[in-house]
Amino acid sequence: SLRDTVPRGDCETVCPNTPCFSEVAYSQSTGQKEQLSRCLQRGIRRVQDLCKVLQLPTVFEETAVSYVQRALQHPSFHLVSLEKKELLGGCCVFVTCRQHNWPLTMGTICSLLYAKQELFASVYLSLQKELELSVPALSLADLVKTHLNSFRLFQHAADIPAPFVENKEKVVARTMQIVELASETWLVTGRHPVPIVTAAAFLSWQSLQPATRLACTLARFCKLARVDLPPPAHLRLKELLEILLRMASQLAWLRVFNLDKKTVVKHIGDLLQHRIFLLKSAFCPEDEEEQQCRRPFASDSAVTGEEPISDGEIEQYLRGPEEIRAFRKAQAREVAGTERPRPW
Amino acid sequence: MDGSSLLEQYLERCDGQDDISTSPQLFTPMSPYDVDFPIQTTEDVLFGSQFNQPKELPTDFSSVDLSFLPDITQENKAQNLFEDGHEMQKELDGSTSNEDSSILTDESILAYPDATQATPEASGGCPPLTPIAPMTPVTPASESSGIVPQLQNIVSTVNLACKLDLKNIALRARNAEYNPKRFAAVIMRIREPRTTALIFSSGKMVCTGAKSEEQSRLAARKYARVVQKLGFPAKFLDFKIQNMVGSCDVMFPIRLEGLVLTHQQFSSYEPELFPGLIYRMVKPRIVLLIFVSGKVVLTGAKERSEIYEAFESIYPILKGFKKAS
Repeated sequence: SLRDTVPRGDCETVCPNTPCFSEVAYSQSTGQKEQLSRCLQRGIRRVQDLCKVLQLPTVFEETAVSYVQRALQHPSFHLVSLEKKELLGGCCVFVTCRQHNWPLTMGTICSLLYAKQELFASVYLSLQKELELSVPALSLADLVKTHLNSFRLFQHAADIPAPFVENKEKVVARTMQIVELASETWLVTGRHPVPIVTAAAFLSWQSLQPATRLACTLARFCKLARVDLPPPAHLRLKELLEILLRMASQLAWLRVFNLDKKTVVKHIGDLLQHRIFLLKSAFCPEDEEEQQCRRPFASDSAVTGEEPISDGEIEQYLRGPEEIRAFRKAQAREVAGTERPRPW
Repeated sequence: MDGSSLLEQYLERCDGQDDISTSPQLFTPMSPYDVDFPIQTTEDVLFGSQFNQPKELPTDFSSVDLSFLPDITQENKAQNLFEDGHEMQKELDGSTSNEDSSILTDESILAYPDATQATPEASGGCPPLTPIAPMTPVTPASESSGIVPQLQNIVSTVNLACKLDLKNIALRARNAEYNPKRFAAVIMRIREPRTTALIFSSGKMVCTGAKSEEQSRLAARKYARVVQKLGFPAKFLDFKIQNMVGSCDVMFPIRLEGLVLTHQQFSSYEPELFPGLIYRMVKPRIVLLIFVSGKVVLTGAKERSEIYEAFESIYPILKGFKKAS
């Protein structure tokens, strides 16, 4: 019987000789601890799955799991929605990757989690803040290598014209140089990293065999390579070409060619080779647009907040009785119109 | 050519001399301002031609940019300023459309549509030039930046201390909007000070959009008067400034990647999410949005001194990440 298995507590003094249960902790009776451990189990499983899919080193899994544990025990995550809790595992993997300079983008992890980027972002930022995690910036150099892995132009295939196939190492090396150039010329700071890599990869590929590839557009390139074309990539491409043109204007033997955005591609190799010198001479501070300092619009600092307020000024915001009547009528008509059954 | 090293050369030369410089005309009388000319990104424009031929004194100043001098330029630009200031106000008072800004939950944070451009438009964020006493050209460590952040938005609350019939208010006030299915408050606007109020049935009210604490108070009082005129016994209790937003421009591009590295514990820089760096300053407790363009937004203040203090703290840090291309 129950009486034998359950220890008697103070109940015995209140109602003697009656079978009763001892005090049960709230967390036990509502299964709060079980809930927490279930969340934790789910989080850990999610971490393990992601690490497997992404083929991450085993140490990453340990770190990510410890973050999940810390997060779930943190008071600010207790009451977070289930939807958000689901993303915690992914966030912890993301943070771990960034801390090890493993170039995992938010876009990638969101697609693996089938998560909305906004929601992921909010969980990620909370995690970073509450756990006081320092998350280093995404390394573009590493991103180039992993991103180019998904490009499908390094091996011959039926749907890729032969002259379009290129040596992977060459493309990677040149893309890295172009991305570095972009970084030095302020094209990277504040911008989404992937479109820069896409644009740089395109220019790098084009410039390795311009004769046959100049006619190929960025859109077609991405389609052939079976990669997404992120919208900002067009702008990044335009900006890169402008930088390259400015650099070309500093090379005496290129000035004669009167290069444009198409023809400069043929000389990217040269430009990259001399980029250190060219950047110095092409971008000296005198060339920068002068910032004209203007005094701000004079604000009425004379306001005290206690000025008298005239009746007239307030009355301009009030409807007159006729206006109210007209408004009421119009409202009623609108309501009636939506409620009346349609004849057809 | 590296701008700061030229400046350093100049300063070294000056330190070793009794007279102030080899180009006294340029430096002493014309510039009662901080050596660094924080408002001028192209300090080389001023010093550059002089340094190429350090011994020669320039007799022709036509190539030198003197636009930092207030008396000469501002009168001429007064007309443009008026227009620019209004444009700026429109820009800032409108709701943000940048989808990335949704990560910022504080409603009073304003995201600049063109914040990512490296060449900032004159946006009215430039501070008034406060003359500082003439000083010897020593590397300024503890001097103020000479830039004063401009207040852009004040959020305040007040208790009207009476229950309000929102439907009634929306019916009888011209400047009111009420969509209970969307939001449980009346949205009311007045023209002067140009602000918006959220009025709740509990009698609590939020006032946003003012450019100063006094303007916010005046506006809140006007809304209270409107509610009074509509027949409610509205009071004006516990008026409080809840948040202040300021902005300014340091006038040089900033390497956000570098800043997040050296100030990890305070910074969050995620270009995949938002173009600016989010800096959570501890003392004072202010959040700064720092953009590559050099524009800075400061928010979270309850008093304007916190905004000024926060900017003075961040300015020397930002200068460390200033680079000539």
